[in-house]
Amino acid sequence: MALAQSRTRTFIDPQVVARLAAVPLFSRRAMLGNVSGIHTSPHRGASVEFAEYRRYVPGDDLRRLDWRAYGRSDRFYVKEFEADTNLRLCLVLDTSGSMNFGSGPITKLEYARKLIGTLAYIAIQQGDAVGLHCIADKVVRDIPPRRTPSHLRGLFDVLEHTQPTGETELVTTLHELAETIRQRALIVIVSDFFVDPQELKQAFEHMRFRKHDVTAFHLLDQQEIDFKFQRPMRFLDMEGGPSIFAEPNDIIDRYQRAMHGYLDEMKAITLESAVDYQRIQIDQDYEQVLFQFLASRTRGKRT
Amino acid sequence: MFVQPWMLYALPIISLPILIHLINQRRFQNVQWAAMRFLLMANRMSRGYARIRQWLILLARTLAIFGLIIAVSRPLSSGWLSVAGGSKVDTTLILLDRSSSMSEQGPAGGKTKLETGRNQLIQSLNMLKSAHYVLIDSATNEAVELESPDQLNSIPQTSAVGASADVPAMMQTAYDYVNANKPGRTEVWLCSDVRKHDWDADGGRWQVMRDAFLEFQLPIRFHLLAYGNVADENRAIRVTSARRVETTSGVDLLLSLEIEQKTPVAGRVTIPVELELDGGRSTIDVELAGTTAELKDHAIPLNADQVRGWGRVSIPADENLADNSFYFVYDKPVARKTIIVAEDRDGVRPLALAAGISPDPTYACNVEVISADQLVSVEWDKVSLVLWQDQLPEGSELEIVDSYIARGGQVVFFPPLNPNQNSYSGVHWKAWVSLDEETPVGTWIGDQDLLANAQSGASLPVGELRVMRYCELEGEHLSLASLRNGSPLICRALTDRRNVYFCSTTATVGESSLARDGVVLYVMIHRALSNGSKVLGTTRQLIAERQPESEDVVNWRAVSETDSLSTEYDVHPGVYSSEERLFAVNRSLAEDAPVTVGEEQLANLFEGLEFDRVDDVAGNSTSLIQEVWRVFLALMMAALVAEALLCLPRKRQPEADSLSKGWGDSGNVGKQSGSSDSNGQTRRASATREVSA
Repeated sequence: MALAQSRTRTFIDPQVVARLAAVPLFSRRAMLGNVSGIHTSPHRGASVEFAEYRRYVPGDDLRRLDWRAYGRSDRFYVKEFEADTNLRLCLVLDTSGSMNFGSGPITKLEYARKLIGTLAYIAIQQGDAVGLHCIADKVVRDIPPRRTPSHLRGLFDVLEHTQPTGETELVTTLHELAETIRQRALIVIVSDFFVDPQELKQAFEHMRFRKHDVTAFHLLDQQEIDFKFQRPMRFLDMEGGPSIFAEPNDIIDRYQRAMHGYLDEMKAITLESAVDYQRIQIDQDYEQVLFQFLASRTRGKRT
Repeated sequence: MFVQPWMLYALPIISLPILIHLINQRRFQNVQWAAMRFLLMANRMSRGYARIRQWLILLARTLAIFGLIIAVSRPLSSGWLSVAGGSKVDTTLILLDRSSSMSEQGPAGGKTKLETGRNQLIQSLNMLKSAHYVLIDSATNEAVELESPDQLNSIPQTSAVGASADVPAMMQTAYDYVNANKPGRTEVWLCSDVRKHDWDADGGRWQVMRDAFLEFQLPIRFHLLAYGNVADENRAIRVTSARRVETTSGVDLLLSLEIEQKTPVAGRVTIPVELELDGGRSTIDVELAGTTAELKDHAIPLNADQVRGWGRVSIPADENLADNSFYFVYDKPVARKTIIVAEDRDGVRPLALAAGISPDPTYACNVEVISADQLVSVEWDKVSLVLWQDQLPEGSELEIVDSYIARGGQVVFFPPLNPNQNSYSGVHWKAWVSLDEETPVGTWIGDQDLLANAQSGASLPVGELRVMRYCELEGEHLSLASLRNGSPLICRALTDRRNVYFCSTTATVGESSLARDGVVLYVMIHRALSNGSKVLGTTRQLIAERQPESEDVVNWRAVSETDSLSTEYDVHPGVYSSEERLFAVNRSLAEDAPVTVGEEQLANLFEGLEFDRVDDVAGNSTSLIQEVWRVFLALMMAALVAEALLCLPRKRQPEADSLSKGWGDSGNVGKQSGSSDSNGQTRRASATREVSA
């Protein structure tokens, strides 16, 4: 039903969703869910996957004693198994003014809608709870995670109607989310991250401290990288700041140097703070991007 | 200075790059931009260098256009930096100094100053172009129209002569030409070696000339091509005296000569002087020590029947060939006759005494005292000097005196007892003035004329003369000696032959000490006698200069070898004959004095006029004016290359290309997964160990 509803959404392509549904979304850390699912739980449970041997203590269920181990060692061991649970997928969407940029047919926000919509659908489909947090200078919209398929409609509605306005207060807002989202959630942040990387690192480490599995989709436009213009331009700040008049040919070298430095720093801080960092150019096929993202997590799970 | 100056009207185009830049600045586009953070950083970083680079690019573009415009305007390079560039020249006046000193060669030999100057003028004027070319040469001082500057090398009026130049007179001719023809833009090109004698820079004519030119409303520009350097080791020879004397042993020619060099020679140098006498040649060795060598009364035996003749002395070739030879003529000396016209015979006794005593035993000095009534009875063809102490001549007396003056006779007028209103040569006596005390002579001209210093250099004792009574003079004259109160004592009337003198006092005791201090009177009278006798004999030593028509130069015949035109015999050194007479024409004494006009003094002569000067040296083959468009073309190309280099995009950093490779990578997920996995495996391994234990 949700898929049928999604046909009316421009950012959801059912065929893409159908193709990606074959690849499950795994978390990299143990998640705390409230129902059974496909994700590892921090607690021991009744799954078929062996976890560890533990010394028997009085009160343990005698049915869980490993008699073979007793036979070999003359000691009582209890055999424990992993618990499988679902996860809470918190999608954080940057809706600041800068996300409205796009030199091609699509803006960063539209690209983000596709990523988030598809991820939400896949997560709901595999029984995970999905929430959405639209942020700009503050948390603009906040939808708590739910796992019911009907929850998707509301989430898609918010996603569809969200508008890119205001300045970015990304770091402050991420700190706030790190505290408000319950521990052990998968947080997917989709933003252009035009903030100071060192401040961003602190926010990421805050989330890591809260045992969240953080993924950052860094959206960039080709023109933002190349900075190729033929004539003098007046650059109007999309977030309401002062405009700048510049001769692009004169400053292209310095611009690119600053951009490359920033990107290198971003890569470094995400590595240091164990963030799954996905740098994406918005003219890339989002299906491929998501497929690689999901597949990489699947490979990690298997090994 | 440009060959095509009208192209300079395109110069404002050099502002085109700046205009385009400004327009481009206004032609910006607005764009919504997200990554302002990096833009701000880049803009902040680029302010310094980028701005300089931008200005450098603008400068390079401007220079490129400037170079192109200047190149197509065909600029000329020279020392004549201020030569007109705007309007076309209508008339070019070429004032050419042909004097003897212009024959001096450069340090490397080869071409003389005159030849070099001519060639430089031809090259420069051919490049500059003009509608009319007019030559004024120093020898003829006449304006001659030329078809083209190339004629400077082909017409005879541009060859070297022995005559000195009179630059003020040439300027006067130029002024007359401009005044008569009223041309458009006029350029006056003056080629000279700026000798002081030629320029007469201290004379009053320059002030008049300058004022006259300044009054012109026509645009006139003066250019001086100066060859002011002097060859220090150049020697000049000059015959100071050539006298035929009869002795008991026969007839001799007593030849006196001197050789001068500007800088003193080290030690003594023997100079072989070649003497050519009536076709025969011989050599006399003269020893030069210091700057001057002098040979005094060197006796050369002549045949007894050889009454008159001519000769030439010459020294080996040096920097200036024109002053290496000197012509002379000799003749049997004639008696020097003085006529004293006096109203009071007793009062002129001192004059008669002074004129009657011959300073040289080889000739006699006769004196005849007459009254004005007896003038007709005098054999004027034999008179050398007239001392006139009477009313100034009038009527028939005037005719006789005029005739005598015209043929070159000398006359000195002394004041009559009661002067009337008669005048001669524009000068007349006024009234007698009695002084309270004896007044000495204040100033006198000691370098020339009757009161010139002696050959030894010592001045005449003119300052010792005392005057108690004198007669005032009125009229234009040149004062040779003045009393301390400024009144003229001895002066010369302004006549062509410079042979009319006035003495404002008499030799009578009680009026002056002329008789008492007789040296001055004696020298003065005998110098006038000497000058007067020169025109009487059949031989004459002449200074190369334009002779008065009475000399009948057109009928002269060349005796010595010469390649000059017969009309210019009087300005070319050589020996010429006319009827029974022989003329030796030589350069003036001043030509041997290598004194040039100072640069500042020369600039002052043209003060207020558009004037520039370039100094050249003889033998210089580099053109004064050259087309230098290649330089500006090179400038343009250099500017374009610089502009291209400045506009070149910076070399991209390798990381720029590698950026896109990272797109779509799984980022840090692998590492995190690995870490997670390894933790898991570690946990499992420890559990296994516990079980094993």
